[in-house]
Amino acid sequence: MIRVMLGLGARAAVVLAGTAFATFALLWHAPGDPALAIALARFDAQVPPEVVEQIRAQAGLNAGFWSAFQAWIGPLLTGDFGRSSVTGREIWPDLVTAASYTFPLALAGLAIGLALSIPLAIIATRRPGGWLDRGAVALASLGAAIPTYWLGLLLILLFAVQLGWLPAMGARTPVHIVLPALTLGLGVAASLTRILRSGILEARSQAFLPAFRRRGVTPNDIERAHVAPHAAVPVVTVIGLELAFLLEGAVILEVIFARPGLGTFLVNAISTRDFPAVQAVVIVAAVIFVCVNLLIDLIYRVLDPRIGEHDA
Amino acid sequence: MRPPKLADPTMLSVDAISVKRGQATTLNNVSFTLGAGKTLAVVGESGAGKSTLIAAILGLVKCASGHVAWAGSPVSQCRPTLVMQEPRSAFNPRLPLEHAIREPLKAKKIALDTARLKSLCERLDIAPDLLARRPSEISIGQAQRMGILRALIAAPPLVLFDEPLSALDAVTQKRTAQMIADLQSQQQFAALIVTHDLGYAAAFADHIAVLRAGQIEEYAPAESFIEAPQTAYGHALRDAAFALGALERAA
Amino acid sequence: MTITLFGLSATRSGRPILHPTDITIEPGARVGLVGASGSGKSTLGHTLIDALRAQGTTVAHVPQSPDEALDPLRSMGFHWREAERALHLAPNPARQAKLFEALNISGANLRKRPWGWSRGMQQRFVIAMALIGTPDLLVMDEPTSALDPVVAAQTMDLLDRYLADRHTALLLITHDLGLAARRVSRLLVMAQGQVVEDAPTLQMLAQPQTKQAQALCAHRNWRTLPC
Repeated sequence: MIRVMLGLGARAAVVLAGTAFATFALLWHAPGDPALAIALARFDAQVPPEVVEQIRAQAGLNAGFWSAFQAWIGPLLTGDFGRSSVTGREIWPDLVTAASYTFPLALAGLAIGLALSIPLAIIATRRPGGWLDRGAVALASLGAAIPTYWLGLLLILLFAVQLGWLPAMGARTPVHIVLPALTLGLGVAASLTRILRSGILEARSQAFLPAFRRRGVTPNDIERAHVAPHAAVPVVTVIGLELAFLLEGAVILEVIFARPGLGTFLVNAISTRDFPAVQAVVIVAAVIFVCVNLLIDLIYRVLDPRIGEHDA
Repeated sequence: MRPPKLADPTMLSVDAISVKRGQATTLNNVSFTLGAGKTLAVVGESGAGKSTLIAAILGLVKCASGHVAWAGSPVSQCRPTLVMQEPRSAFNPRLPLEHAIREPLKAKKIALDTARLKSLCERLDIAPDLLARRPSEISIGQAQRMGILRALIAAPPLVLFDEPLSALDAVTQKRTAQMIADLQSQQQFAALIVTHDLGYAAAFADHIAVLRAGQIEEYAPAESFIEAPQTAYGHALRDAAFALGALERAA
Repeated sequence: MTITLFGLSATRSGRPILHPTDITIEPGARVGLVGASGSGKSTLGHTLIDALRAQGTTVAHVPQSPDEALDPLRSMGFHWREAERALHLAPNPARQAKLFEALNISGANLRKRPWGWSRGMQQRFVIAMALIGTPDLLVMDEPTSALDPVVAAQTMDLLDRYLADRHTALLLITHDLGLAARRVSRLLVMAQGQVVEDAPTLQMLAQPQTKQAQALCAHRNWRTLPC
């Protein structure tokens, strides 16, 4: 088990190192002059070239690629994300504030997704091929095909504009989270329902189940003890993949719903060419991904101990 | 058709091979020889290393030590073929079986010998129209005979059989075994048969090798092995074959 | 109690795969059901089990391979408790110990999942589980073909010994007449979804009447091959 953990840890480290380098290299080689962009953002006016040069020196942009990379990665390894090259503020506290808006949104989205998809999948698989099943599959396909931002706008039109039940913009009160979370949750539910449905059907077609029926085990006990655990395994994988969707969806929805959060933070940082801030968001996202995937790997081994037998 | 080669006692020589998988040793210092036209049956429980032995002879796994040769040169030069356990999955389900017969010939750039195909079909009781069907449209017994046809079409001097009968029912097993034996006596290929069925081994092999935990525990002519196994495990195997009705005790 | 069933039949997608069949099995009898693959012998086994269960006769089933009888995610102990519950029996350690001893799996770790045991032990566990309720009939479908011969022979010997003085009848379904001949006193031969011959083992071996029975007898074992 310890060897497995070490292996997983090493894999995570490689992914993080690769992400850090790729982000930095991409931003460095992106077209346009970052110093000019920073100057524009900072002063909101045309500035003389010597000011631009001064900013370039301050931000370490006139050094070569490698020395700039070292100047960035060194402090990062000690947990120091540096300062914004636009506002000069420390990035970390702003990042934490942003995350404190995004994480509840993502988790609420996941919770809504699970709360909708589990009952839907169970109802759908009660009679496979029946009209309930076909309806659920059609609904899920539709849900997966609708882009998040469009669904968000539709929900705003319905609940905020037409009915006036829910607030659409900002994050002043806890109620403000309902619409974006619902938007996100519907998208998650769409893909989870399909996976759960096929997971349950596959678990029900396992070769050993007829023997349990002949042994006299009741259908309810079979569903609970022998179908549900097998159906849960693929769902765990998909939740890991959903995380990508959740973060990506949250980024877009924060812009649509004018909520503060990692998405808004990232969009602002990109538009102002605030390199350190962009890199910070990407690194944090990568760390979250890697951690969740590690967690999923471990949950996997608990749910189905046959996984990982070979590395042990 | 090649003339039968006689009195060539050591064509396949397996010389002290060991195979490691991770830290475990799956084959340990295995040696034997096999002559043209002869049959060696390798028996043993699952996990004994029977399949690894086949893979090692075909060069599909690397030997940690020892070597395998056919008439003094690498085995791959004699183009050995393999008959697999699960006959249907050995064919592409979407293509007619004829394609599967021709494909290995194409890879080896050998023209199809239609006279040979016809004679093999006759001997294997394969009606010519079966060749146009797909694997799912023939019985499992027919599929296994088709596998044998494919293995023999290019007249290889060495044919390996990995549990060739275990997917078949009892009557089909015995008919198929008989066909393999007839073809062998006509074409004089060397046959290495991996099986868990000692009854089959006793009836058709010249020699029996008992493989256990990666080692050859006993190696003897088939008759003398059945008469008097020399090891405790050999005894257990033989008695099991009696208890399961695969062998009949000599009256 | 003698088991008697009339007119068992089965169809698959409209085609009959089991023609109406009557079957009688005496208490404690050893009956072999033999036939080529696709002859309908497993279908008869399953139909028989369902009909007997509906009738209230206790019947247990041992499938060909332990993979078809055990959930890989559940512990052996869970399987055992579940089987007891299904028969409405209270947990009884003495009964469990006796069955485990009879099938030579005493002392094995019940907290492990099936794949933590050898296949031979798994199969013996499945047989022990089938015997929990002392059924009137035990149906075994190719019980040895997934096992190594030494283990298979041991398993059949252990079962023979356990059943020797009990009323539980055994129906052994197999394609291998050689195996059946060693274990049963009466043979049923199946072909094309019908029982074509029904006779005591020795009589069948000596004078098979139908073409199918003759083929099975002629190919009974490797030494009796007509070559």
